[in-house]
Amino acid sequence: MIVIEFFLTLFVASIAAGALGSVVGIGGGLIVIPILTLFLGVDIHYAIGASIVSIIATSSGAAATYVKDRITNLRIGMFLETATTTGAIIGAAIAAYLSATILEAIFGTILIISLIPLIRKIGEEYPPKQELKGLAKKLNLRGDYTERDGRKIEYDATNPGKGLAGMLAAGLISGLLGIGSGTFKVLSMDIVMKLPMKVSTTTSNFMIGVTAAASAGIYFARGDVNPLITAPVALGILIGASLGTRVLVNARNTAVRKIFALVLAASAIEMIIRALGF
Amino acid sequence: MNLKDPNSMNNILGIVLRSGVVLSGAIIAIGTALFVASHSLDDTSTYLAYNPSLVPHGNFPVSLASIATGLGSLDPFSVIALGFLVLLATPVARVALSLFLFAAEKDRMYVYLTAAVLAILLFSMLATPLIPLFNG
Repeated sequence: MIVIEFFLTLFVASIAAGALGSVVGIGGGLIVIPILTLFLGVDIHYAIGASIVSIIATSSGAAATYVKDRITNLRIGMFLETATTTGAIIGAAIAAYLSATILEAIFGTILIISLIPLIRKIGEEYPPKQELKGLAKKLNLRGDYTERDGRKIEYDATNPGKGLAGMLAAGLISGLLGIGSGTFKVLSMDIVMKLPMKVSTTTSNFMIGVTAAASAGIYFARGDVNPLITAPVALGILIGASLGTRVLVNARNTAVRKIFALVLAASAIEMIIRALGF
Repeated sequence: MNLKDPNSMNNILGIVLRSGVVLSGAIIAIGTALFVASHSLDDTSTYLAYNPSLVPHGNFPVSLASIATGLGSLDPFSVIALGFLVLLATPVARVALSLFLFAAEKDRMYVYLTAAVLAILLFSMLATPLIPLFNG
């Protein structure tokens, strides 16, 4: 393939990945990695390096809007981030000793597992009001945001301990696979901590950027961040993410959760096909 | 802009994030334009070779010294690498500024938590690339 064709293909795919990723709180690696490995024949290590770039670009590209609209819960994000960054360092240390095949097998399995609890609460617009207690109360893990129609939505987090454990696992996966593991982060906040879906995805959006930045130095120094791949990916993602934020702020929580479920299902199918060797 | 007022801190955070993104996007776009200008019809396989036995694995600059040298001669890959480094700095800036945001809100607990995240993040970004365990 010639350079210009390669650039344009990746650029267009990355716009879509950035738009989707910024809405559902994932880094776009779920889209960028299969496109690179399946359609463009790029080595999985370069694909993972590109995924790290796409995660940071999605997170930062969407951040300015989410900071202004105050949907992201910075306290909950920062509390959970202590676990994800720690997990990411451990994961990156082990990743160097695993083969691409094992990485892909893990990747696919994770996606399938993620689908089950999500479908159970697919139609829920706002979580039932919780009583803030224990660690969640101590750490003030609550918040509010304003919908575009002016309604103020208040919420409290539950199960911070389990949420933190989920985030340690998410961090491990990030370090191992170079994906933002936004799926795990969103699921931990949506299913375990019972936050509104839009708070979960935008807080995940904040967290994936920080987690990816923690392991980016390692991938960059190894030479896994190939400029030919990362340039069109970063540019496309930044454009896509700014488009996606406009969709999210006006969207319903149930709509965001449905899109999230579809993205997960599609990625799971892709990876299963690949794992079976087709 | 008052650094002790949470609202202006939130605005500063938004402005810093937006500037970081626009700047990195512009630098990467320049690097891409430079590369396409002279190599648009090259075959990609030349640039996509991955050498598992070599570190770094590819044929492009990864050390700050080689990127700086490359920038002097407007090497496209060095320009793109610079743009990536600016992009990489934005989440770090976000955490660092959150420290001031929590300080403005007089929330000591979260100042400590954020300081811990910043410390882990900086350790991971700056120290781990130098540790052999992480460089397989």
